[in-house]
Amino acid sequence: MIISRRHKVLLFLSLVFLPIVAILHFHSGPAELSLGDFLNGIFNYDPDITEHNIVRELRIPRMMMAILAGAGLSIAGLLMQTLFKNPMAGPYVLGINSGASLFVAFSIMTGIPFFMSDIGIISNALIGALLFGLIISIFSSIVRSQISLLLIGIMLGSFTGALVSMLQAVSDAQELKSFTLWALGSLSRVEYDQLLTISVVFLIGLFGALLLIKPLNLLVLGQDQAKLMGMNFRMIRLLIITITAILTGLITAFCGPIAFVGLAVPNLVRMLMKTQHHGILIIASALFGALFVLICDICIRLLENQVNIPINVFTSVVGAPIVVLLILRKLK
Amino acid sequence: MIKFSEVHIGYNTALLKSSSMELHLGSVYVLVGKNGSGKSTLLKSIAGQLPLLSGSITLAGQEVITIPKKELPSQLSFVPVQFPAMDYVQAQEFIAAGRSPYTNIFGKLTDRDKSSVDAALNTLKIEHLSDRFTSELSDGEKQLVAIAKVIAQEAPYILLDEPTAFLDYPNKNKVLALLTSIAKEMNKCILLSAHDIELCLDHCANFLIVSKEERALELLQNPTKAALIDSAFKD
Repeated sequence: MIISRRHKVLLFLSLVFLPIVAILHFHSGPAELSLGDFLNGIFNYDPDITEHNIVRELRIPRMMMAILAGAGLSIAGLLMQTLFKNPMAGPYVLGINSGASLFVAFSIMTGIPFFMSDIGIISNALIGALLFGLIISIFSSIVRSQISLLLIGIMLGSFTGALVSMLQAVSDAQELKSFTLWALGSLSRVEYDQLLTISVVFLIGLFGALLLIKPLNLLVLGQDQAKLMGMNFRMIRLLIITITAILTGLITAFCGPIAFVGLAVPNLVRMLMKTQHHGILIIASALFGALFVLICDICIRLLENQVNIPINVFTSVVGAPIVVLLILRKLK
Repeated sequence: MIKFSEVHIGYNTALLKSSSMELHLGSVYVLVGKNGSGKSTLLKSIAGQLPLLSGSITLAGQEVITIPKKELPSQLSFVPVQFPAMDYVQAQEFIAAGRSPYTNIFGKLTDRDKSSVDAALNTLKIEHLSDRFTSELSDGEKQLVAIAKVIAQEAPYILLDEPTAFLDYPNKNKVLALLTSIAKEMNKCILLSAHDIELCLDHCANFLIVSKEERALELLQNPTKAALIDSAFKD
């Protein structure tokens, strides 16, 4: 691996900017809070003090979720792009989010209390993401064309969208409302007590991805070359899809579907870093992804007085033009 | 040595067969045959990518299919006809991928790995390409980098699928001369497929022909051009 000066500078800058942007994010919102409130909210929590409650129940969970969602979705996107050797791949485009959505729709609309609980929703999102990840990987071994695979992913998305609409048609008003709110995507649904579980699952996904650096680097040369270098492709593919499903499923369960982060960030990172080394790409995607979602959410908070924009809508508004620009740049 | 014993090769029905044949270290063998005669299929079968219909192929006495997948790359390397299309991979990183059978779980290069990469760059005299992205290289340069990767891989058996296919005349000459000297000086057994009969006759002595009639492999040493064309192409 060659870690150039460019890589070091960019990684250093993103490491410096992440806490700065996180603090800005913490300060965005209607109530004025100090850094002292932040620390007291964590270490000297007093449920009778309003500021402490805002810090603990609203600001910190939202900030942490923005960081984890951005980092997790970007790593998931990177893994999909490398596995399918396709820069336009991502959990959203390939229908992995749709899988999670479909299973969450099932879980919310069954009305069964277990399925409507946190664990119920997370496990269903994970199962849905994993199942759709496996479906798309089966298709990838049949069709070799990059475009065909993306089209199949989009078709999977439309198909599950239709199934979800059918479920909505037969559900009652309360179920319909919970699902619609979930589907708009939100970073503020998570509670302080859930953060530990979410962080642990995220770290499992991150370390899993880091353990796959060597096979991911080989996959850049193409599936056939990777096999010739002794890689067990089937096992590696299963591991990559499992890690993608863990990260995508986790974030989709808690925040709803969030589009374009997984697609735009890894492409941006590759272009800035000018490398295919996954040791650098995974860390940089996590940092840049966290920054991207934090900044998007700060903008949402700034606009909150005029208009309430869901996070999924905002990342699409910003992410879609970035992806188009990347395509145009590549065609040049 | 690569040894064929009563081999039948193909996907469902036998595309080509070989009775008993041995390919030795220190030599280059040129695989010649019509388009669609099964040259690439044969290379894939030797590389263990395609199961044999019958018979056996052994590398240094061990049957290819019994060699664990992780160990095979230290025995045998393969250069496909197309150089992989990829962005932001430097030539030295691509060559270093040849060391992956020897590196740890994170793929970290040791000093030994780095010196192998440097030696490969030096053998092919392409040190100046080291920092360039492979996507910016010419077809000739890409082929040299691909050969450097198999040198760094340090496998005694090297297969190349049409290594001269996309090259101009001087580069075809250069690549064939290089492969011949690598086989001799590094004691490698190199098997390459090619359509440039005249050029190969200038550089190499051993020809593996897919005979037109029986679809059988035939080994010719120092053949004339006429004999070669007669065996492989004439109807």
